[in-house]
Amino acid sequence: MSESLIPAETLERVGEVLSGPVTTVIDRREAQRYAYAVGDENPVYFDEVAAQAAGYRTLVAPPTYVTHAVVQPRTAADLRTDGLYREGTRIRLLVDRVMFGGEEWDFLEPVCVGDEITATARLAAVDQKEGRKGPFVRQVRETTFVNQFGDEVARSRMIGIAR
Amino acid sequence: MSTDTDTVTTTAAPDLATLEAGQQLPTMHKFPDEAQLFLYSAASHNPHRIHYDREYARFEGHDDIIVHGPLQGAWLTQFVTDWAGPAARLLGVTWQNRASGLPGEELVFSGTVTSVDHETGVVELEIAEHTSDGRLLMPATARVRLPTA
Repeated sequence: MSESLIPAETLERVGEVLSGPVTTVIDRREAQRYAYAVGDENPVYFDEVAAQAAGYRTLVAPPTYVTHAVVQPRTAADLRTDGLYREGTRIRLLVDRVMFGGEEWDFLEPVCVGDEITATARLAAVDQKEGRKGPFVRQVRETTFVNQFGDEVARSRMIGIAR
Repeated sequence: MSTDTDTVTTTAAPDLATLEAGQQLPTMHKFPDEAQLFLYSAASHNPHRIHYDREYARFEGHDDIIVHGPLQGAWLTQFVTDWAGPAARLLGVTWQNRASGLPGEELVFSGTVTSVDHETGVVELEIAEHTSDGRLLMPATARVRLPTA
């Protein structure tokens, strides 16, 4: 095993809340704007009758929309050079570059228009692995989404690859 | 807007009774252009410069502005829900970002059924997103529950 790329202070942060809890109401107009931007014009997102015929309480939002719905308004002064917002809690690693490795989603309950969703993101894991191009760090940011009934509706794990 | 030329599958929902591992899903094709990337950045509240600033994207080592990972993820969910029909429930997806899609490229989603539980209706799928010239962008999986009679 090569030298550790993960400082002890970072390992101690596993389980820590990175953002949230933040609460938002799923807005029909915003959810439909998102569906149009994807080019997914499924009637269950646009037609109340079609949504109820499919077994939903009311109009449903596209599956991964919930993660965009909870993005909080920020001032442009918070943008970094690359256009991303500055993070309050930076995870320190001894590497140059973090890339998006992928995502894993569990969809547990439908997210419908009008639902009040609370999102909380945690640092779920930081592990060093050996790859073909040398050691890399796999970090997992897990977000849970809970609705107004207290039901967990979705869980996402965003996987960052750092080397 | 690219949606005009997107091909959307309109076949009937799959029949759980006759569905078996190894069966293939009808492919879905997407033709992202700059307008679609712009609209997706706006609708998803994503200000990341690599999706709209060509010069900056090249500075970061990309060939052009690049298609958002989450947009491809949303297409992946559409690929499954279009096939499974409105009464089905998407239970989960996973995807890996292997390479970046660029505006002007044709993107092709293909999938295979890997397991079917005829009792619960839960179907597992292996999915891939390629460019039309065969570059793998995203290997993916999905779980979906089809309605049981």
